[in-house]
Amino acid sequence: MGTAASGRDGNGAPPLPRGWVRHPRERMLITPFVAGLGGLVAFFVVVAIVVWLPIHTFDPPPSADWAPLSSVAVKGRNLFAQNGCYVCHSGYTRPQDVRQALYFLYPKVSQPGDFWGSDQSPNLLGTERTGPDLSQESGWHPDDWQRAHFYDPRFVDPMSLMPDMKSLFSNTQVDQLISYVEQRSGKSGLLRYAGQLYAKHVVLVNQGFPQPYTGFQGAHKPIVKANEKGLKPPSAQLEEAPNLSQIDRSYWLSGNPLPVTTENLNRGKEVFLQRCVGCHGLKGDGKGPAASFMSPPPADFTDKDDACCGGDTGPGDFYYRILRGWPGTAMENFGDRLSVDDIWRVVLFVKTIPNHTLNKNHLPTPGDYIVWQPTKELLAWVKTHQKLANNVSFDKKQSQDPFVQEAMRVFPGLAPGDSMKLNDGKTELSLQSAAAGIKAVFEDMLNRAWSDARARGEKLPPEVMKEIPPTVPGQQ
Amino acid sequence: MADASGSVAEAPAPLTARAQRASPFPDAAARHWILSSIIWLTIVDLFGLVLATEFVTPEAFGGISWLSFSRIRPSHVNGVILAWLTMMYFGALFYMLPRLVGTRGMWSERLGIVCAWAWNLMYLLGIIGLLTGHSQGREYGELIWPIDVALLVIWCLNIVNILATVSIRTIRPIYVSVWFFIASPLWLAADYAIGNVIWHPGHVWGAPSGALDASLSDAILNWWYAHNLFGLWLTPMLLALTYYIVPRVTNTPLYSYTLSLISFWGMAFFYTGVGDHHILQSPTPSWLKTIAEVSSWMLLVPVFAFTINILGTMKGNWDRFFTNLPLRFTMTAFFFYFLVNIQGAFEAIQPFNKLTHFTNFVVAHAHLALLGAFTILGMGVIDYMIPQIFGKPLWSRSLSEWMYWLVTVGFTGFFSVLTLAGFQQGFSWQDGIPEVNVLNQLHAYYIARGIFGAMIVLSGIVQIVNVGMTIFTDTAERRRRETFRVAEAVAPPPVA
Repeated sequence: MGTAASGRDGNGAPPLPRGWVRHPRERMLITPFVAGLGGLVAFFVVVAIVVWLPIHTFDPPPSADWAPLSSVAVKGRNLFAQNGCYVCHSGYTRPQDVRQALYFLYPKVSQPGDFWGSDQSPNLLGTERTGPDLSQESGWHPDDWQRAHFYDPRFVDPMSLMPDMKSLFSNTQVDQLISYVEQRSGKSGLLRYAGQLYAKHVVLVNQGFPQPYTGFQGAHKPIVKANEKGLKPPSAQLEEAPNLSQIDRSYWLSGNPLPVTTENLNRGKEVFLQRCVGCHGLKGDGKGPAASFMSPPPADFTDKDDACCGGDTGPGDFYYRILRGWPGTAMENFGDRLSVDDIWRVVLFVKTIPNHTLNKNHLPTPGDYIVWQPTKELLAWVKTHQKLANNVSFDKKQSQDPFVQEAMRVFPGLAPGDSMKLNDGKTELSLQSAAAGIKAVFEDMLNRAWSDARARGEKLPPEVMKEIPPTVPGQQ
Repeated sequence: MADASGSVAEAPAPLTARAQRASPFPDAAARHWILSSIIWLTIVDLFGLVLATEFVTPEAFGGISWLSFSRIRPSHVNGVILAWLTMMYFGALFYMLPRLVGTRGMWSERLGIVCAWAWNLMYLLGIIGLLTGHSQGREYGELIWPIDVALLVIWCLNIVNILATVSIRTIRPIYVSVWFFIASPLWLAADYAIGNVIWHPGHVWGAPSGALDASLSDAILNWWYAHNLFGLWLTPMLLALTYYIVPRVTNTPLYSYTLSLISFWGMAFFYTGVGDHHILQSPTPSWLKTIAEVSSWMLLVPVFAFTINILGTMKGNWDRFFTNLPLRFTMTAFFFYFLVNIQGAFEAIQPFNKLTHFTNFVVAHAHLALLGAFTILGMGVIDYMIPQIFGKPLWSRSLSEWMYWLVTVGFTGFFSVLTLAGFQQGFSWQDGIPEVNVLNQLHAYYIARGIFGAMIVLSGIVQIVNVGMTIFTDTAERRRRETFRVAEAVAPPPVA
């Protein structure tokens, strides 16, 4: 080892750092064997701890909210995975995402048991949110909104950056994908979706519209028209009463708290152009590019008579529909995206549209504003249904039954004792009938998903898990 | 004067031939891997540019299904890792290993060449699959099962080639870089096979395959695997290449053997367990998150060992940072590598992660590693190797300078813009502002990102031009002519 002492060995290695007396190679020699095998030993020791151990010990039971996917939804999930949707949409909500104070934004934190079952494989947790998290998406939007949105996201949300899916999916595929989106949030999501479907049924029957087109067919079809032949509202009942039942009754006659100023109207126009024109159109006539996908079609704001004197279109009604959406129609809630003031400003602006304020270079002025007058019939109806004595109409005691809760979410204008007929004169609408209808839709979807999962040969939790009623998370 | 120029003009031919014969190394395998990687770099860069464009105008490629964002993004990510960086690393490995262990080339240069073509074909098929919607749907593990198998077969053949070369070495002690050349491919083979659940083919052509049945276990495995693509392959190879380039170019022995030991074993122990920091707020076990957070900080031990080692070697050699381009690339990459580790350590702990997770901050971080560190190093290594492999100088030094400044400025801008955008998103979300409302605030950032991204694409194209012209023109002759022209200009007049 004399060469080591001199600082050089036979291979011409570099001199030792000052102060070193022995060549380090004598003590810490690494051979190819040590590098390769030692490296692998180190690797597998850590793998045993961070991979093998959690995979074999972490097996959370299904949560009460868990539900399997139907076979159509499983196909949709595969499309979701194979086309990389997870690169912009995460698949779980974090504790900090859930804010009860905000409308509809991520109503609950994802639980380990929500991801139970092999129909949740591969994982779709995701790492980036260019778009929103989708783990809680089920039921917020009806199918016809989803179809227009998948065809071209800018049709329903002009601010969206999402690529259009019209070139990626066939008509069948897009409905599979929608089926997945509407069923992925467990029982609470299925309950919301059941409410959405039941409300769609009510709205279509009440207004005489046909079912919306499936797949992307809406892109090449005319806007649907109502068939009013069979519509005969009961004589003692206000024609708009079923519509009003979807608006909280404290808003029925409320005025706009903001003054009609040029500033407010201009801001209202700005927001309208940013968010509303996809469906309601650049002229406000309800003929935006998304309109032909939707049944019932988007509202037309250009009718002067309707703006001043017709039925249920008071400022409070407009406000409530923008804030919370209109379940059963494609009108989604903007409560999580617009400030309260901005919503009121849009409401102000909408009442100027009949005076062509959406024309280019026409800035709305207070002179364009059409003051709304409730009709006599409406006033009479409200008088009989908004009993102010003892605040009885405003008593919002929550029911314990999740299906009644959901019925109250979809029909917030119905008081517990209320009962009315839809405009076909036959179908009854009350909280009880709505809750029963929602329950039937919910149980049908859940049963079908279970039998599908059984047919796919997947392991399922004990049957009692299915019987656990859904919960309604978040603010209602 | 006429006599003088006439006499010098006779010399070139024999000298060029001699220069091309000078290297005892065939470098055939290295050449195939490296040249493929240069082409792939521009392709995956262009994928990135398509993505950046779609962030600005989502309608830009409307109607072309295979240019859809969600299909290009996996192709971009997989392409950067498996096509560009992996091919560049193997090229560099096949170049450096024979020189370090004293063999005339790899054990089988032919096997290396076959593997290079197979790899190109494999990845081409994989990317066609991704662009037509055939994907496993697991981030960083998107390539479908048959491609995974092909990849592993080629990978194992490369391992055989490497181990066989080491076993026939003539220099018995093995240098630091060779430790990584041996261990890192082994690590990645195991990581790739386990992480892609290779024993679970599923429906090969239909539904997603290669995943565990339990979703959260699958997520744990997914992110353990994904992070180790960087931790056990891309980063160790960065270390190996830096350990080669810096001492070689500066002609200085490595500062400390002990520090390189720490960097090797520290990497093996601490990098393997950090994966769960990608899903810190997900419903996965807390103890696993703790391991991930602690490991992420412990990683700073091998990182500092490496940093000190390289800075020690660079001591007294910083003048060459300005004059030697490969060294400048390498040290720039080294700086970004150090930065990405410090940044990553903070990102991996809960308080910071709560702010930055799901935002563009993470995208910036990923590009700091894959673009700032690995890609810039790769460009430097190619700048260094091409003249050696082809036995003639690079076609244009100024194009190399352009390449350096385009990629460095482009990347720095890109990184800064995305970091700011990430904070904008994080703070807005904390205030309860939903994602879609933040998008229009990000528009300016996205435009800037596209412009900086275009600079990065341009630097890759400059590299193709420079390397291509080096190969297809007689740069040695050109350089000689220039030298003679200068010599002639400054030559003293002939004595009358």
